[in-house]
Amino acid sequence: MTRSNIWTKPLVSLVVWLIVLIVVFPLIWMVLTSVKPQSELFRIPATFWPTRITFEHYQTLLNETLFLKYLRNSIILSTSTTLLVIVVAVLGAFSLTRFAYRGRERIALLVLTTYLLPSVVLVLPLYLMMVRVGIANSLFSLVVAYTTFALPYALWLLRSFMSSMPEELEWAALVDGASRLGAFFDVILPQAIPGIISTALFTFIVTWNEYFYALILVNTDEARPLTTGVITMLVTSFNIEWSLLMAAAVAMSLPLIIIFVFLQGYLVKGFATAGVKG
Amino acid sequence: MARAVGITLRKLRKQYGPVVAVNDLDLEIAAGEFVSLLGPSGCGKTTTLRMLAGLDFPTSGTISFGERVVNDLAPAKRDVAMVFQSYALYPHMTVGENIAYPLKKRGVPKAEQPARVGAVARLLQLEPFLSRKPRHLSGGQQQRVALGRALVRDPEIFLLDEPLSNLDAKLRAHMRTELIELHRKIGKTMVYVTHDQLEAMTMSSRIAVMRGGDLQQFATPIEIYQRPANTFVADFIGTPAMTLLDADLRAQDGHGEVMFGPVSIPLPDNLVNQRRGGTPVKLGIRPEDVLIAENDGFPGTVKVIEPTGHENIVLFSLHNHNITGRVPAQVHLEVGQPVRISFRSARLHLFDRETGLRLS
Amino acid sequence: MSPSLKLPSSSGGQHDPAKEDRLDLTTMPPVIGMSAVGVGQIRKPSWGVSLPTQYSLIGVLLIAPAVLIFALVIAYPLAEAIYLSFFSIYTPTLQGEWVGLANYRAMLSTREFWAALGTNIVWTIGTLVLQVVIGVAIALLLNLNFYFRSLARSLILFPYFVSTVVAVLVWRWMFNDTYGILNRALVVSGLSDMPLDWLGAMPNAMISIILVGAWKYFPFVVIAVLARLQTIPEELYEAARIDGANVWSRFWDVTLPQLREVLIVIVLLRTIWDFKEFDLIYLLTGGGPIAATQTLPLLVYKQAFGMNAMGMASTYAIGIMVVLVTFMVLYLQRTRRGSELQ
Repeated sequence: MTRSNIWTKPLVSLVVWLIVLIVVFPLIWMVLTSVKPQSELFRIPATFWPTRITFEHYQTLLNETLFLKYLRNSIILSTSTTLLVIVVAVLGAFSLTRFAYRGRERIALLVLTTYLLPSVVLVLPLYLMMVRVGIANSLFSLVVAYTTFALPYALWLLRSFMSSMPEELEWAALVDGASRLGAFFDVILPQAIPGIISTALFTFIVTWNEYFYALILVNTDEARPLTTGVITMLVTSFNIEWSLLMAAAVAMSLPLIIIFVFLQGYLVKGFATAGVKG
Repeated sequence: MARAVGITLRKLRKQYGPVVAVNDLDLEIAAGEFVSLLGPSGCGKTTTLRMLAGLDFPTSGTISFGERVVNDLAPAKRDVAMVFQSYALYPHMTVGENIAYPLKKRGVPKAEQPARVGAVARLLQLEPFLSRKPRHLSGGQQQRVALGRALVRDPEIFLLDEPLSNLDAKLRAHMRTELIELHRKIGKTMVYVTHDQLEAMTMSSRIAVMRGGDLQQFATPIEIYQRPANTFVADFIGTPAMTLLDADLRAQDGHGEVMFGPVSIPLPDNLVNQRRGGTPVKLGIRPEDVLIAENDGFPGTVKVIEPTGHENIVLFSLHNHNITGRVPAQVHLEVGQPVRISFRSARLHLFDRETGLRLS
Repeated sequence: MSPSLKLPSSSGGQHDPAKEDRLDLTTMPPVIGMSAVGVGQIRKPSWGVSLPTQYSLIGVLLIAPAVLIFALVIAYPLAEAIYLSFFSIYTPTLQGEWVGLANYRAMLSTREFWAALGTNIVWTIGTLVLQVVIGVAIALLLNLNFYFRSLARSLILFPYFVSTVVAVLVWRWMFNDTYGILNRALVVSGLSDMPLDWLGAMPNAMISIILVGAWKYFPFVVIAVLARLQTIPEELYEAARIDGANVWSRFWDVTLPQLREVLIVIVLLRTIWDFKEFDLIYLLTGGGPIAATQTLPLLVYKQAFGMNAMGMASTYAIGIMVVLVTFMVLYLQRTRRGSELQ
């Protein structure tokens, strides 16, 4: 757009930011509600901005609910799943992009199609499997279940990243005397780090947010992650305390906020790369 | 010191489905030779080089270094060094670490590495850059780092894949002479891939001209220039290019002549022994063998003049045939001017019109 | 000053032997390498296997963990899901008996199935259209030049990356009949005397979930479209403008064709994912009011844990998969034909 009107940029900025604020409004409202004193919520007429900011709901959350336990579970769950998935996917992506063997393209295609499988189909047999093996109702069972959707996507993303790296670097390392694995650790891995970080962040968020598998596979508070845990809090209380729930919602979103503030470049790059290539 | 070693390719073939990239190549490179693989893109030269390095695998045929068949040796075990067109420097390592990497991989003790890296760095004037990352270096500097990485290992064989093609013309010319010096100094076998015939001609002891996977000619630069094996080589080598015309041979009473249109050039006996009359040929004339004659010669016209400074490249028209010639700049010519043209008949080239092969 | 290799010149000239930059390879210790191997030795390949095969084996080894995991947690459960659909299983005890195709017959003959399928289709189309339209529109806006652009582009992603649980909590709070901000705004602004029952009555409930679904997932469209928009060369627009095209025809004739490929993929992915969406609808309405928003995934859950019929639930799940696969095949066929015509 090469219109040289001086009013263009400010006008566009106004319109776009208005839209952005409308889109983000629910989340803003969430934060505002969480710091309002309980009484304000039910005042009529309603107030928009809090007259007084309080963190009492967060305190209640931490001290009087099982939030911390759920948080602990989520951290362990997401970290373990991400670690496992990243290791397997990095090796797999390396294999898919730098080696030739029969069936390679078929495997790549399979990865893509499994990504589209409905989780409703897999969850019931997975539930049975966990019962049979004896790990039902545990965090470990969730790690296993989460890989069903985390691994295909991580593989697809990492494969995308690695195939865009020039081959000559690996070749130079091989001629210089490295074995294939040596070349991988010395040259390919360092180059792939941005892509790996992207994928890891993505995997972490996706596992952090997962609800359905957690709902069906786990029903004890000991192993409940935040998603099902917070909903349990909503359901089991006689009085739905919205301020508490909003505080829980904000607290649950903390990793996301941290990632966005510091690392969103990685996230967007990874998303765009694989999202466009489908 | 690792000794130089020769390379033998026997019926080397690389095929991708129906596409033949390298077609039963037979090549014998002597120890310490500087051989260029020359040809247009797609001729198979880079594929051959990669197979020499072990980065690509032959469909059939053998590759031997000295007496050793190396087909199934991993690149790391072949004792070759390679300089890539894009330099392939490790971006996350400093220049010093790049150069030291081959030493590291070969188990050279840590204590010895700095000395060797330093020696190479001094040789290539890279000392001020040792702690910098490659992206902070210019193209020419990066190229020297790539060279350094290859040199530091003291391998038996050097493979170079168009290492100068990313440099500007002046730097390229300079690096050519430096590479020639380097080869003279270390005397190792070097295989050099290029599409630039000037590089091949100035640097090599022998040139292997390739086209479409086939070897066209493997000979010294002089021989390739003076006695090209077929029309492709004749046209590919030499700037400006050789003029190739359809012509006919005629032999009469032991004297031969070659004719195109009404032009009939008598040939010395050694060029036309036992040829039957009327043989269709392709006549090749190098521009420097075209002479402006005072009195004799054939009547032609000047069509285009391209001044290059010390000479003019002139396109003559001779009975509707275009012939390129070189004329010293002092000779004043004008477009459209009628001139008399003659040829150094002893230096004419004759090729079979159908096969393109040289007749001699 | 051209950089050079400083090699000692053989033709004399000034050089101080002491300072000579000589790479004297004779005094360098040989690298531990092939030079130690004598001439005349033919090295046998390791393991008697050719080099390309060695490499292939390594490749297979590296993909093996992924393949194993796939087999274990995807292939096997998938096969078992099909197997289960031929059983009637009582969920609490996990005891079952073979019923063959009875489940399938039952599924296809209940009105509930067809109602859920219809609901599913309405939901999918509704939210998909909104996601794509809003997504493309906002992507176009975000492609313009304005202040704090990268901040805006980051913020717009929040709905997508926030947990469905969080999204549902906040929207249910906003939908709340008495204290929710939406109803308060409605009443205060005078648009309505009575607060709306956003989630408990039809057609409100369906509209509400479609809206929340659009809000949650449109950023996916934004990112993919924006990435593509940024690769469209400016010259295309300039040429169009010179040819006299206005804003609308520039969009229609230049932008849209460029977006075609990415939109095909987006529509495919979003249709599949929206169709099988469970979390959002389950948490917002639970399928209510009275199964009005009960889509097929919710029906699967109800069969498994409400009716305790796990075999039947699996049958429904397979049903969903069949619908999706059919859609995908038909869709790809159609779009492939379209691309060939291009």
